[in-house]
Amino acid sequence: MSLIITDVSFNYGERIILHDFSLEVTTGTTTAVVAPSGSGKSTLLRIVAGLLKPTTGIIILDERNITHTPTHQRSVGMVFQDNQLFPHLNVHDNVAFGLKVSKMNQRDINSRCHELLELVGLGDVMRQSVATLSGGESKRVALARALAPSPRVLLLDEPLTGLDQELHDRLAQDLHQILHLTNTTALLVTHDLSEAKVISDSIHHLQ
Amino acid sequence: MRLRSTSPFAIPAVILVLIAAVIPLIVLSASVISGADVVSIWSKSSVQRALIFSTWQALLSTALTICLGLPTTWFLSRYDFFGRQVFMALVTVTFVLPTVAVGAAFLALLPKGLHHSTMAIVIAHAFFNISIVVRTVGPRWNSVDDRLIDCAQTLGASPLHIWKSIILPLGKSAILSSAALTFFMCFTSYGIISILGGPGLATLDIEIYRRAVQLGDLSGAAILAVAQMLLIATIFFIWSRGRTSELISFRSQTLNPQKLPLGPKCFLLGVAAFFVAPVLALIASSLRTGRSWSLAGWRVLLGMQNQKGIEIDTWQALQTSAKYSLIAAGIALPTGIAATYAFSNRQSANRQLSTLTILPLAISPVVIGLAILITYDFDPFDFRSSWLLIPIIHSAIALPFVIRAALPVVQGIPNDLRLAAATLGAGPWRRLLTVEIPLLRPAISTGFAFSLAMSLGEFGATSFLTRRESRTLPIIIAGLFGRAGEIPRATGMAASVVLILVTAMIVLSVDRKSYS
Repeated sequence: MSLIITDVSFNYGERIILHDFSLEVTTGTTTAVVAPSGSGKSTLLRIVAGLLKPTTGIIILDERNITHTPTHQRSVGMVFQDNQLFPHLNVHDNVAFGLKVSKMNQRDINSRCHELLELVGLGDVMRQSVATLSGGESKRVALARALAPSPRVLLLDEPLTGLDQELHDRLAQDLHQILHLTNTTALLVTHDLSEAKVISDSIHHLQ
Repeated sequence: MRLRSTSPFAIPAVILVLIAAVIPLIVLSASVISGADVVSIWSKSSVQRALIFSTWQALLSTALTICLGLPTTWFLSRYDFFGRQVFMALVTVTFVLPTVAVGAAFLALLPKGLHHSTMAIVIAHAFFNISIVVRTVGPRWNSVDDRLIDCAQTLGASPLHIWKSIILPLGKSAILSSAALTFFMCFTSYGIISILGGPGLATLDIEIYRRAVQLGDLSGAAILAVAQMLLIATIFFIWSRGRTSELISFRSQTLNPQKLPLGPKCFLLGVAAFFVAPVLALIASSLRTGRSWSLAGWRVLLGMQNQKGIEIDTWQALQTSAKYSLIAAGIALPTGIAATYAFSNRQSANRQLSTLTILPLAISPVVIGLAILITYDFDPFDFRSSWLLIPIIHSAIALPFVIRAALPVVQGIPNDLRLAAATLGAGPWRRLLTVEIPLLRPAISTGFAFSLAMSLGEFGATSFLTRRESRTLPIIIAGLFGRAGEIPRATGMAASVVLILVTAMIVLSVDRKSYS
């Protein structure tokens, strides 16, 4: 098992957002958590990423208890709902961000960026400003950026929201393929069951 | 309902700027061009010293302002905490406080060993200019999405790395703008230096005044003034070129309701103390002569006690200051708001006119004062002796503030609202009275308060044009600190207390929303 979430709860004041949630994600597979909006899906991902502290519960990643580990030391990648590309960096530098943090040398950074942008089908926009990208291209850059540092687990927060149906379906297929090609362990949250079926290997319904 | 061309609304503002800045600056420049010797002045040691001191004290002041201003800005623009509104009000007030009175406040606060030192000047400059950093960088940092920072964390970036690679680069152009503006304010500092400066601590503006008024070397002063103007224009040109390359658009975010951590809380308390302590020390100092408590300063100020060598008519000075500031605000407000209607319409002619109206703010008041002294000193313009000239200059200096306060408000009034009023039968005057003016109320009150405050504290240009029988409070304060003895000093402190409190009350009386 790569990611083990055990009895995680999260309260916001009096309000219970998550209650005793448990889930296991096997190495190299994608698990989808499907639930309607407002049911705490994004909260779950933010807890796994370390952006929120759970009220109770334990998170184990590759046999290491990371419940209290700061986000930047967890080795998790995350694709945000609205991409959150760094507006002051071009496509290449967005993808290179996590690699620079890990102090990789420039030649390796360039080749890894090239490899990932080719993988997501954006080899030719490397030096473009992110402001010039279409919605679909932005999603692909966000995915390449999150995959670049080879995280132990990739978290996908409604990654295909806001795209038209045709693009949505194409990207869902591509995403499934890319996650398999890179043998990535991924946790996807979505409200869309059909999307979950295309992208993931197993589905968990959140009550 | 909108006029095809709104440019005519800008005419009064343009005339004001022409009279108060453009014509005098042209005449000043022409006097330099026709002058014989523009080189030898630079070999004078006092000029060289002033140039070097202006530059390095401005660099130090800018560095301290940015160091204190950036963390202050980050916490103010990201966190919602108890006392935030009060803090924002403090930030707003410090920027418009009269420079000579603030100089006096730092004399009262700092130990004697630091009086008339570079350190005192640098600290006082930071007191004023932190506001520029908060105002310029704050909106930019407020618009940085929290999730962008979350995203950087998930990519392995530590807090320090996030500052280096996300927060500072996203604020870069605003930080550079605020640094350039702070440098300009400190380089052309005059009121602060008049009080806290001393031998070897004179800026170029002080040297210009000394040459023009004390040495009678008008042509030397004019050469320095034009050189300073060109230097500042070059800095602003380079700065504005840098700004146009920015492509990123920003949306403001709601403030983080999370509790402010203890470290930032202590830092902000320290900055608040830095803002308040000089004023408290000033009040205490006004109640002392030498080592004992005494009301002598206040008695002399209020005319209840005569002091040899001090002949001040406080009532007259207050009347003069009030008269000038009311006239200045009375001119700047309608002129500025009318011009705002022109500038809210993005025609290229309006953009150029808009740049022109910033001119009085982009030129040092000392240079404006000198230019006016030279320009209006001969027929047919011999109205230098007219008292009306000072409030006209003040109104031109206040004009950019009025326009800045009014522009977002005017741009925010939907044209459909005017159309709706018209379809309901309202004529132009009724629309003005029942739609435009009520909606403009926050801009009117902010513009009015800032114009009053600017005029009350204006010292640079006024010091060139003032007459013995019509001295304003800042002029009287500077005069008192130029005299030896404990009682003149206590009287100067008391007058500074009056000026600071009046200015603060005026600015704080404005609707809180206008500055928070």
